[in-house]
Parts: sequence; C-alpha cells; structure tokens
Amino acid sequence: MKRIILFLLVVFLAMDLSLTAQESSQKAEKKGKSGGYGRTPDRYVPFGKFTKPYKQFFLDPLEYHGYGRQIPEPEQVGSVKIGFLGPIEPTVSVATGGLSHEESLGRKMLQGSKLAIEQANARGGYRGGKIPYQLVVRNDNGLWGASGNEIIHLAYKDNVWAILGTIDGANSHIAIRVALKVEIPMMNTGDTDPTFTETAIPWVFRVITDDRQMCYLLADFVFKKLKLTRVAALRANNRYGRMSIDEFRDAATRSGHPFLVELNYPVGDTDFTSQLQRINSLNPEAVITYGNAAESALILKQMRAMGMNQWFIGSDRMVSPEFIKNAGENIGKVAAGYPYNPGSSKPRYLEFKRLFKERFGDTPETYAAHGYDGMCMLIKAIEKAGLNRARIRDELAKMKHYDGVTGKKEFDPAFNNISPAALAVLENSRWVFYSQEEALK
Amino acid sequence: MKRLLIIIFFLTFFAFGDQGGSFRENRPPGPPAKAFYNPADSNLNRGLRGVPYVYTEWETFYVKDGLPNDHIFSIEADGNRLWVGTEGGLALYEKGQWKSWREKDGLPWKVISDIEVSPKTGDVWLALFGGGLARFSGGRFDCFNQFNSGLVNDVVYGVALLGDMVWAATTAGVSSYNTVTGEWEIYTEKNAPMEEIWCYNADAADGKVYIAVWGGGILEWDQKTRRWNAHRDPDREMEIDLYRDDGLIHIITTSASYIDGVLWASTYFGLSRYDGRHWRGYMDHDSGLASNFINLSLGRSGVSCYNATDLGLAVLVDFASDTWVTYKKDKPTDKTWTAHSGVGNNSFVSVPTKLTLPNHFVICLDFQGDDLWIGTGHGLARGIGKDYYPGLKTNKKFLQGSRGRFFQKESPGRRRQK
Repeated sequence: MKRIILFLLVVFLAMDLSLTAQESSQKAEKKGKSGGYGRTPDRYVPFGKFTKPYKQFFLDPLEYHGYGRQIPEPEQVGSVKIGFLGPIEPTVSVATGGLSHEESLGRKMLQGSKLAIEQANARGGYRGGKIPYQLVVRNDNGLWGASGNEIIHLAYKDNVWAILGTIDGANSHIAIRVALKVEIPMMNTGDTDPTFTETAIPWVFRVITDDRQMCYLLADFVFKKLKLTRVAALRANNRYGRMSIDEFRDAATRSGHPFLVELNYPVGDTDFTSQLQRINSLNPEAVITYGNAAESALILKQMRAMGMNQWFIGSDRMVSPEFIKNAGENIGKVAAGYPYNPGSSKPRYLEFKRLFKERFGDTPETYAAHGYDGMCMLIKAIEKAGLNRARIRDELAKMKHYDGVTGKKEFDPAFNNISPAALAVLENSRWVFYSQEEALK
Repeated sequence: MKRLLIIIFFLTFFAFGDQGGSFRENRPPGPPAKAFYNPADSNLNRGLRGVPYVYTEWETFYVKDGLPNDHIFSIEADGNRLWVGTEGGLALYEKGQWKSWREKDGLPWKVISDIEVSPKTGDVWLALFGGGLARFSGGRFDCFNQFNSGLVNDVVYGVALLGDMVWAATTAGVSSYNTVTGEWEIYTEKNAPMEEIWCYNADAADGKVYIAVWGGGILEWDQKTRRWNAHRDPDREMEIDLYRDDGLIHIITTSASYIDGVLWASTYFGLSRYDGRHWRGYMDHDSGLASNFINLSLGRSGVSCYNATDLGLAVLVDFASDTWVTYKKDKPTDKTWTAHSGVGNNSFVSVPTKLTLPNHFVICLDFQGDDLWIGTGHGLARGIGKDYYPGLKTNKKFLQGSRGRFFQKESPGRRRQK
C-alpha cells in the first residue's frame, strides 16, 4: 500500500513540476514577445501585468509590395534631387497652437543636410559620375497642413528621389501619409513622437532616438535611481506636449506611481503661478514638463521662486543654452532626456563638429547632427539603389544598423531608431550627458 | 498514512489548479466567439459551408488601352459608365471606349484620389490629391481650393455626397459644401471629436457621413442631429490590439463603408465590422485577409466586404460562416492570379483565374452591377460577374454542376500563405 502511495506521490510531484515548467515557459515566451517592441522594458509593457494582447504589431519588418521597383530609371538627369522639408521661415502654425517657434531647429537641420550634400558632391556626386546631388528646400511651417502640399510639390513637380524632414509631429504625420500614397522614401531626423513610425508605412525611416526611449530612461531615472514616487506634470497644450509625455505617463502608471496631476499651459504663456500653486499643494517629489525651452525655463524659475526645490525633469527641447540663460540663478536639480550624447569624444563626431563649424561658423546641435546623419543615409541608399524610389526604400530598409556622427543606430522592424537615449543633467550651469548605464548606475 | 493522503490531496489540488490556470491563460482573449464561429462545429471543420462566387473571367486595362496613367487611385461606377482617377489624369469608360482628361484639357490637377457622382445632378466630384476639390459638370471643371473656398486643405483624400452636401476628407480636417446655398463648413479638432485632423476617406448613406481619420478612428456625422460620434480603438495603444472584438482594431483608419446598417472600417492593421451593437475584428492570421495593410474596404452588403490590400483582393463573402475568397498572385512569377476559398484563415479550395495584372497591390475597387473593378499600382481590371450570386450556394444540383468543377481541392485546412 505504501509503495502505491509513494508511486502516486512521485507521479503527482512530476506532474506538478512539469506543469510549473510549462507555465514558466509560457510566461517566458509571453515576456519575450510582449517586450519585443521598441525595446520596451517588461515593466512598461501595455497591459503586461494583466494579459497578453491578441496581436502585437511591428515585430516583422514592414514590406512594400507595390509595382515601384519595376519603374525604369531615367536615362539622363542633370542632378539627383533630394527634398528637404522643415520649419525654416517664421509663420503661424495651426499644428503648434500659434506663432511658429521651430525655425531655429529647422535651420540647423538644413545646415546638417547641406553639409552632407556638399561632402557627397565633393566626392564626385552621384556614383562618382559628376552628376551633383541637389537639395530642394521647402518650408513646412504653414497653416492648414501646409506640409502635405509641400510634399506633393516635391514629389510631383520637383521630382525628388527621397525627402528628409520634418520636426513638428503633426506636420510629420501629414507628410508621411502623402509620402505613402506618392511612394517616396521619407527620412525623419527631428520628430521624436513615438507614434510617427507606428503607422505601418513602409516608406518612413527615423534616425533620431524618439520620446519612447527618452521617457523610458527618464522613468527609470526617477522611479528606480532616485526612488521617487510623487510626480506631477505640467506640459505644453499642443501636440508635442500631449504626445511626447505619453510614454513617461504610462511608465509612471505601470510603475505604480501615476501622476499626482497633469496640467497644461498654452504655448507662449509666461505666468505659471496658478498651475504651480496647485502642484505644490500636492507635495510632489518631482515635476516633469514637456514643452519648449522658453516656457520650461520660466516654469523652473517660477518654481524655485515659490520655494519648490524638487527635481525638475524635462524633454530634450530644454537642453539648450537658452534654457540655462532664462532659468535664473537658482537652478537646482534638473535632468532631461536627450537623443544622443553631444559630449562624445569619438573622432568621427569631433571631425563632424570641426567641419560644421568651419562651414557655418557655429557648433552643431541635435537637429544639425541628426540632419547630417539622415542625409548621409539617404545618399548611401541612393548610391546603392540607383534612381528608383522603391529600390532606395529597400536599401534604407536593409540598414539594420548605422554608425553615424550621433552614434551607433539600431533600427527596429518599423525602421525606427531604438538606440538608447542619453540623460542630460544640469551641473554648475552646464549640461552634462550620461549614457543609460551611467545614468542608472 | 493520513499525512500521505493529505499530501496527495493537496498535490492533486495544486496540480490541477495549475492546469486550470494555464487553460484560462491560453484561451483566446475577448468575448466568446461562439456567436460568430464555433470551432466545435463539425460542418465548419469539414470545410466550406457552401460555394462562394469566384470571379474567374477578367479583363485588364492600361495606358495602351486609353488610360492616362497606370497608377490607379480611384474607381467610381455610375450606371454603365466608369470613372477612373489615376496619378496622371481622369478617365471615363463607356460603351467599350476610353476618354481621358489631363491638365491640358482643363483638369485642375492630375492626381485624383477619389470620385463621386451625384445621383441628383450627375455632377462628377473629384478629390484632387494636392489640387483641392473639383466639380466636372457640363464639360467644365470648377475647382475649389484653400484660396477660393472653404476647403480646409488642398490635399483631398476622399469625397462623399449626402443629399445636396459634398463632404471632403482632407489632410487637415473635413469640409462640407452645400451645393444649393454655396455655404461651406469646416470641421477640425476645434469643433469635432478629432484626436487628429488627418482625414483619409469619406462615405455617406442613410443620413450619416463616415470619415476615416488617420490616427483618430472613424467619425460619424448625423445629418439630422448635426452631431459627431467617434469610434476609436478601446485599448488606445498603437503597438497592440488587446482583444479581438472589443472595438475598432486600430485608430490608423484608411476607409469607412456603410451599408445595410453595418459599418466596415479598414486600417493598416486589419478590418473591423460594426453592426451598431457588436464589433468584429479581422486580421491576416485569423481570416482570409491577404494582408493587414488595407487600402480600401467596400461593403457589398452588411454581410460581405471587399478589401483592397497590398497583397491582393480579400473578399469576405459570407459573414455568418466566415467564408472568404482571396485573389492574389501566389508567386511573383505567376502570370495569373489565383482565388483561394476558405473559412477563416483556413483555405480549402483554389481556383485559377484569368486575371493577369502584374502586381497585386490593390488600391481601389468598385462594383458595377454584377461586375467588379479593381485598380492597382499598375493597371485596372474588371472581373466579369457572369451568373454572379451573393453569399453561398449550397444546393447539391449546383455543386454537381459546372461551377463545382472550377474548384481544385487544397490540403484540408491549409493555412493561407501570406
């Protein structure tokens, strides 16, 4: 009898162990799959603690199945035209909620692009055959979705082979929808909105690290490194402010520390007293903002004047000399995400900085450096593919990695750069940059 | 002894408890699918419930036949006439003859993304991709753009007509134009529930206008109450679909088609059907969709929908039985397309067709009586609907007749090849 019972005991134990192993294996599979998109840490996966989604998108490379590859190349061209779309002239922008404010960024992006074109032409132009590359420049900074009209113009009238642009999230989305219908490759070097590449358009590429990666780093810094739990948000009331803070908000909620409050302000506002009073009454340990440098600096200044000495966390747009200049003397604890490390001492980056300064008399910043990298990628793809938009797209899609002046890029199946962000910390009125490992050490 | 029995009892409980837990976890998420498709149904497991109609006879048309351009963006059947919008002009097919209009003929802009014909006046309304909205009437083109009218943007993706109203879906919002009073209205995020303003397609029927908003789901305008209603993806995440039938699959919508009280909505992530109470989602892994990337969906009825995808034409023939016919080139080197019939994602029979278009990136489609027209990235084709019938044929006489011989059996329950 005892033998039978022992035998049964062994059988049940074996069944239990087998089921546990099976469950672990299923959990591991679930973990691996759900964490697969956008280098999302398991703790920040949507609904990851509750269930497995019915379908996860963007795990396989986006494909183009159209006829474009069979369109013959032109027999003769005077130049190889590449379009540039960016905010370069001041105007009014319906997308950003008022007076345009991104010209300084757009002009830098244009300078970086120009430098890449000039270098390619100095090397002998298209395939070394003395046919020059030509940049066709258009301003997207207009009312009523002007970027769409500009892409139509670039594609159908200027007959460019690929387009680089743009910065504003709404304009970028408008542009890529047109690019999809027209079937023309579009390289983005300035829009950090995570949803930009979450549209299943196989013609769109992004070389700049997006807000998804920057938010994950900021969330880890706030909740894991600093071990803070009480965070309040004050952001711009435009698409940039709304969309860019999204992944941080979700990460906060999924970490068990949802925002105490999320308030906003109109772009161009100068007095944040009422919002800060309300935030202060909630006794936060950190205040996060997503907006432009000018408003972010004023918020910080007014916070400190009110005796609010919490951590001030923000977006890459406040990492600028303008922010330091306007934030006042009592800056305190300030950190922001950044798409790359501008303090890099890699020879290629230093050479780029030297050449840029030589050409434009100024130091390159993020939009210039990424504009340069994006344009270099386009030229590389055109050199390989020839003058066919679909085959240029194919060459860009093949680039799983790219070693640019802004660092090593890794592209996911939706052609989005998912290389880790850097953390910028204000130390002695200077921005100091840390890699992900250094920031979370 | 008692101890051992207690241990065995607990081990048994935990062992089967675990099993139960695993079982629950592995069940497909979402509400029970029984109402639509019961996997235990032996009839379904054996194969098709009936025979769907398959378009086997096709004609093709290119520039050499009279089209202004081979890149086809829109098709609109108007009785016996067919209007075709291309990347290089407008074409009309009537009585076997082609006539075309380019910019030199007065067409305001060469790229035509959508066409609608007014049943009341016969006016032809053209959505011009970067050129505004045009009315072709009495041999004259009238152009409405950002500078001379209330059109919100010149990049017009879709046009729909409802009574005297013309609705234009543009890249920066929606404009409506009253053709009787000449009054324009503009709808953007300021006065409509648009999370984004990037409108992609419009459809109108039964006093309602449906707008597919890229990044904003489907907007429904009730002409009587002058109110908007929004349909969005309930999980509000771009990278996942949380549950199959919880609502719209994704907010990146590309078209809306309203017929028989049913809304069909296409996205680049699959197809959604809404009957006013229940949603049903379709993706390439659970249905006959050739691909999740759907350029346009057009309902032929409340139970049948034709989907223009980047990997062929996928037709949900019969909603109740989940019967699909998918037309595509099985291999890039194939000279003709093949139709695959099946239930859900299981393909049971294949039918060779005479469709010879070189690429199966389908952009647009329309029905002309029993005929079916499709436009692709290179060429236009007409499926000749001889003896067309909706739904499924199930009587034995028919199955033993001539149409039954078209079918070639595939391996039972073979998964569809993408």
